[in-house]
Amino acid sequence: MKTHSALTAASLALALAFGPPAQGAKKKRADPAAEAQLRPLIEKHLTIAHELTAGLLAWDAGDYALAAAHFEALLALKDLPDDVAAAIKPLAADARKKGGGKPVADQTGTPEPATPAPDEPEIEATPKPKGPVLVTVSGSVTGGGAGGPGGAVVTLHRSNGSTPRPTPLSNKPLIQRDKKFLPHVLAVPVGSRVSFRNQDDIFHNVFSISPAHAFDTGLKRAGDSETLAFDKPGVVELLCNIHASMNAWLVVVDTPWYAVADGAGAFRIKKVPAGDYDVEVWHENASQPARSKLTIGEESAALSLSVGGDKRTNPFPPDKYGKPRQQQLGY
Amino acid sequence: MSRALLLAALLLSSLAARAEDDTYAPATPAQSPLQINGYVDLGFAVAQGDGTSFPANDTRLPADYGVDTFAPAINTRGDVASTDSHGRFTNGFLPHSMNINGTPSFFLSTVDLDVKYAPQSVPLLIFTRLQALPRFNAGTTTTLLVEQAFVRVIPFKSQELALSAGKFDSVFGVEYQENEANLRTNVTPSLIARYTTGQSLGLKSFYRIQLPALWTALTANAAMTNGGTLVEALSPPDLSLSGRPVFSGRLGVEVNLPVAQLKVGGSFMAGPRNDQHGPTVRQRALGADGRVTVRGFSLGAELVWIDQDGGGADKSNGLGNEQLVSAFFARGEYLIASYGLSLGEGALRKLTPYARFERRHAQFEGFRPYTVQRITAGARLDLWDELALKAEYLWNRELQGAPPVDNNVFTSSLVFSF
Repeated sequence: MKTHSALTAASLALALAFGPPAQGAKKKRADPAAEAQLRPLIEKHLTIAHELTAGLLAWDAGDYALAAAHFEALLALKDLPDDVAAAIKPLAADARKKGGGKPVADQTGTPEPATPAPDEPEIEATPKPKGPVLVTVSGSVTGGGAGGPGGAVVTLHRSNGSTPRPTPLSNKPLIQRDKKFLPHVLAVPVGSRVSFRNQDDIFHNVFSISPAHAFDTGLKRAGDSETLAFDKPGVVELLCNIHASMNAWLVVVDTPWYAVADGAGAFRIKKVPAGDYDVEVWHENASQPARSKLTIGEESAALSLSVGGDKRTNPFPPDKYGKPRQQQLGY
Repeated sequence: MSRALLLAALLLSSLAARAEDDTYAPATPAQSPLQINGYVDLGFAVAQGDGTSFPANDTRLPADYGVDTFAPAINTRGDVASTDSHGRFTNGFLPHSMNINGTPSFFLSTVDLDVKYAPQSVPLLIFTRLQALPRFNAGTTTTLLVEQAFVRVIPFKSQELALSAGKFDSVFGVEYQENEANLRTNVTPSLIARYTTGQSLGLKSFYRIQLPALWTALTANAAMTNGGTLVEALSPPDLSLSGRPVFSGRLGVEVNLPVAQLKVGGSFMAGPRNDQHGPTVRQRALGADGRVTVRGFSLGAELVWIDQDGGGADKSNGLGNEQLVSAFFARGEYLIASYGLSLGEGALRKLTPYARFERRHAQFEGFRPYTVQRITAGARLDLWDELALKAEYLWNRELQGAPPVDNNVFTSSLVFSF
C-alpha cells in the first residue's frame, strides 16, 4: 500500500513537474509489473523533482548557498535531460554567486542532495534469498531513560545460519544545521559512505574518537562536505570540535536486517526470511545493548523490546584530542 | 512559487510513505534541556610539620608577608592544612584552611552541583554552579557558595559570538578551565592560580574566528566585572567596593591539527584593587600561556605578573576585614606535563601520570622579597566514567627571603561524578 501511494504521489509530482496533462495521467494506470519496471525511472525523476523543488524553495527563502547545493547536486546527476540541465545551469551559477562557497563538484565526495533523502534502496539481503517467505518484523522499544526509546537501533543476526552481508549505501547524508547533527541517529550497513555536510553559516569540525572509527574532517565552512566510508561495524559517536553541545550517533551494522526506532519506539524491518535470530537493541542512553532471541515463521512477527537508560550522559564531551570540555565556557 | 510548494507537499508525502527506518531525527532533542550534574570530592592528606608555611622562629610581622601561605595546598580549591600563625599578626594574605594541621586526615573538599538549562527555542544557556564546602574541624565553617550563575546568549547564527551576564569564571589565562576537581588532572592548583581563577560578577564576551587553511582559530575573551580574577580568599567575590569595574581579557590562537593541538594566549587584567574602596588604588596583571597536546601527551605552561598599588584603607576579602593595603608585586610560572594512557572500556579507563614544576616570586612593599619553588608528582586513575582517584606529593622549597620550613604535602582525592 505504501509503495502504491508513494508511486502515486511521485507520479502526480512528475505529472506536475514535467508536463503530461493531469487528465491523461488519470486515464491509464500501470499494472504492478509495469510499475516495477518504471520504478528506476520514477525514482530518477523524483530525485530531479526533489532537488529542483528544494532548490527553488531555498531560493525563495533566501538561502542561496543551499539552493546552489541543490541545483549543483541536480546537475551532477547522470543522464540528466539536456533541457533540464540547460534550465538549471544559470540558476545554479546565480545561486552560487549569491550564496558563496564552493560548488558541490569541487568538494570531496560524490555530489549529494543537501537534505537527508530517506528514499534509500530498501533494506534487503545480498544475495537475495530465493524461495523463502520474507516477512516484516515490527514492534516497539521501551526504555531508553528520560529521553525515551527514540533512536534505538534494532538489529537481527541469524543464529542458525550465516547473516548475509548488507548492501552498502552511498553518500548517506548527515548534515550539520543550527548547531545540531541531522539525523541524531543514523544506522548504515557496513561499507557505506556517509556525507558530512555543513549547512550552517559557521564552521564545524566533525570528528569521532570512538574506537569503531576515529576520524577528523577538519574545519568545514558553510556548504562544505566530506564523505567518509565506514568499513567496520560498531557505534561511532559524532562530535564537533568547535561546538561541545553537538553530538550524534552513527551505528554501522553488519546485517541487512536493521531499523532505527522512531520517537515512540516503533520500528519495522522488512523482508526478513524465516529462521532463528539474535536480536540486539542499541540505545545511546544504555550502557549495554539489550539482547534477546527471536524465531520468525511465515507470518509477520511483532516484537516488544526493552532497552536500558542507565548510561550517564557525559557532561564534559571531549575535544578531538580527548580532553574534556565544559559546555558553558566560551561558545 | 505555489507550483513549487504543491510539488514539495506531494514529494514530502511520497517520501514519507517510502521512508526506511534508518534515521532518527527528533523535532526536540532526546536529551532534556535541563541537565544536572556534579561531583563529590573526598580527600585525604598528610602535611609535614604543623601544615603551615610559618617557620617556628620567624618573628616578622605581618606573618603572612614573608612566606607563601598558599604553598602547601591539599585540595583542588587550594585550601591548606593550616594557617595557624600561633598568635602572630596576619593581614589577610591567606588561603582557606581545612585545619587538619599535621594530622593525617580525611576531609570532604567539595560537594558540587551544576545545573544547566538550554531551551531549544532560543539561543540561551542558563548555568549555575553551587558548591557546598562541608567543614567539620574546629575553627572552620561549612559554606554554601554560588560559584557561578549566569545567562549566556548567542545573538547571531552566522557569528561565533557569545555574551554572558552574571557570575562566571575568569577569562584570564587557562587554569580556570580545569579548576574543578572532576576536570583537573592533578589535585592541587598552581601557585599562581590565586590570581587567575577567581569568579566575579559582571559581563563577558567571547568571539572566535576560524582560519581553515591553517587549521587555526583566533579567540578573544573579554570581561568587565566587580572584582577581577583573584580568588575569593583575596577579594570580595560579589561586591564592587570601589564602584569601578575591573577589565580582563585574553587573546588566543589555537592550531587544531589532526594529531596535535597548540594553544597560546596572552591575558591582561586592569582596574581598581577590589579589596579596598579607593578607585585610584589599582591593580594590573599580565599573563601568557601555552599548551601542546600530541596524542596522549600534554604540556602546559603559564606565566603571570601582577602589580597592586598600596595606599587604600580597610582591606576586605573573603577571609574578613584587614588593616593594611600594602603595595604588592608577584610573578610566577608553572610547567605541567602529563600522559594519558587509555586502559580500555572496563573498570580501569585511563591512567595519567603527571609532574609539575612551578615557582613564585613575591614582595610586599617595605618587606623582603621571597621566592618559593614547588615540584609536584602524581597520578590520576579514572575508573568507569564516574570515579577518579588522584594522589600526589608536593615538595615545597623556600629559595629566597623566606626561612626554610618542612611543609611538603602528600594529598589525594577521590572524585565521584554524577
